[in-house]
Amino acid sequence: MSLAEFLSGLNTILNHLFGTGLPMFVFSLLSAVIVILLFVMPLGGVSTYIERKIAADFQERIGPNRVGPLGILQFMADGLKMFLKEDTMPRNADRMVYNIAPSFVTAGSFGAFAVVPFSAYIIGADLNIGVFFAMALGSLVSLGVLLGAWSSDNKWSLLGGMRGAAQMVSYEIPLGLAVLSVVTICGSMSMHQLVGMQAWPTAGGEGHFWNVFHNPFMFVNFFIFFIAALAECNRVPFDLPEAESELVSGFNTEFSGMRFGLYALSEFADVILFACIATAIFLGGWHLPFFDLQNLNLGLTIGEMSLNPLIQSLVMIGVFLTKVALLVFIVMWLRWTLPRLRVDQLMNLCWKYLIPISFFNLIGAAVWTWVFEGQSLLQLVGKVLGVY
Amino acid sequence: MTIADIFVGACFILGAFGAFFTAFHPNILYAAISLILSLLSVAGLYGALGADFLAAAQLIIYIGGILIVILFAVMMSEDIYKKRFFEGAKKYIWPTIFSGIVFVTLTRVMMQVDWSNGSTPDFEPTSRAMGWALVGPYAVTFQYVAIILLFGLIGAVIIARPAIKMKQRAAEIAVEDNTEEKDA
Repeated sequence: MSLAEFLSGLNTILNHLFGTGLPMFVFSLLSAVIVILLFVMPLGGVSTYIERKIAADFQERIGPNRVGPLGILQFMADGLKMFLKEDTMPRNADRMVYNIAPSFVTAGSFGAFAVVPFSAYIIGADLNIGVFFAMALGSLVSLGVLLGAWSSDNKWSLLGGMRGAAQMVSYEIPLGLAVLSVVTICGSMSMHQLVGMQAWPTAGGEGHFWNVFHNPFMFVNFFIFFIAALAECNRVPFDLPEAESELVSGFNTEFSGMRFGLYALSEFADVILFACIATAIFLGGWHLPFFDLQNLNLGLTIGEMSLNPLIQSLVMIGVFLTKVALLVFIVMWLRWTLPRLRVDQLMNLCWKYLIPISFFNLIGAAVWTWVFEGQSLLQLVGKVLGVY
Repeated sequence: MTIADIFVGACFILGAFGAFFTAFHPNILYAAISLILSLLSVAGLYGALGADFLAAAQLIIYIGGILIVILFAVMMSEDIYKKRFFEGAKKYIWPTIFSGIVFVTLTRVMMQVDWSNGSTPDFEPTSRAMGWALVGPYAVTFQYVAIILLFGLIGAVIIARPAIKMKQRAAEIAVEDNTEEKDA
């Protein structure tokens, strides 16, 4: 069930109050607004604060501590500052391209959240091509980076943009191959079905536990996905497009005010997006080991209505976001630990190591699926031990 | 008129606009950017007509791959503001003839299709059927296209490589290594 269908349940209330309901597209728009305003924006904002706090911890500083308790309102102050700042533009900038470039990046990274399955009941749109859709929108991000870099008429920007586009186009290949292996073993691209198949295995059930533990090839593929996703988000150790010690700030050097804010916010949104996708397709989404949350039943009711879907949803969102938060923390941890790669090292890593390994893993995963008829390692072990 | 009709109409109009400016905009950079509009509209049309996989593939291949390469080429060329794409009508003779042939062919094909069932189709998953078609009836065609791509790649390598022959270069390297060892 998609979020829009979930929301259209409101029509019964509206019918009761005003005697008339709203058309479906209103709920579609509403669900898009809810996903962006309730999940993406606050998560992106808070993660800038968390990033600075973690950086401070790693460097034995205190970090932001003035705005609000423990400085937690710092990101709101930052956001307000970005809104109020003067929007400057270099004199020789290409006016039209400069203006539209940040929106490509924002559209790419925010739009892909439509297919992120936050729980069994809350997903923006359960597209049949879900995970492919998210990757397709990722190509808008590299377009926005390249256009913004070129249009600001600054050689640092241009260098950063060239690096960014080359890097994103290259790392899309191992990323796509890692995703393809998941699609191979699950036989679906819909995020909802991909997560649904990762339930704890039971007798006669469809679940085969988290894809990362499906077989040895998938275990390696998860790390390939993670590395390639780091490069797609331009995060350390792959932050060459905005290497601040070489290129001032890289492709977004000349952007100020909310235009810069859009670039910064969508970078954090991108990190969260890839953490969400990794959680959904490799780490089992909202599924926990030993227990299927869809069987959770506390028996609470309001009158006739059972509260089960609501409670399940909340628990599932909690589990999902915990996994996402762990992945995001690892990304930040890496940022304050590893040095930056050189451009040639970056390309070598992608073309000489990640792509051959991921091709091997794709074939390996396909052969495993064919030999063991889609069963995971855990299911095979369970069969041998006679658990079910 | 439903929302879907408005969306399809907007895609048609924007796609035509984008295509027109791609062909006739005097500035080559804006021509490339108009191509984004055109390709996005075509992706939107695919999506609206139920070809969801094709829409995403359009985004990932044409915008994520080909358009980025085009932009690389355009942005790396010098003085793109001075160069005029439109340099007299002479350039347009052959393209007009070829696109005219394509237009006539497509129109004839369009005439043969029965369009009476005018409503937009129901949303059905297409990816599975496409996958089976690519390994089944169209397997040979698919492999043929792959071979053409391989030729393209080999051609690119030959053009990009320095003109020194492999053996000659290896011999030079061996000589350099020897002298270095003697120096040491």
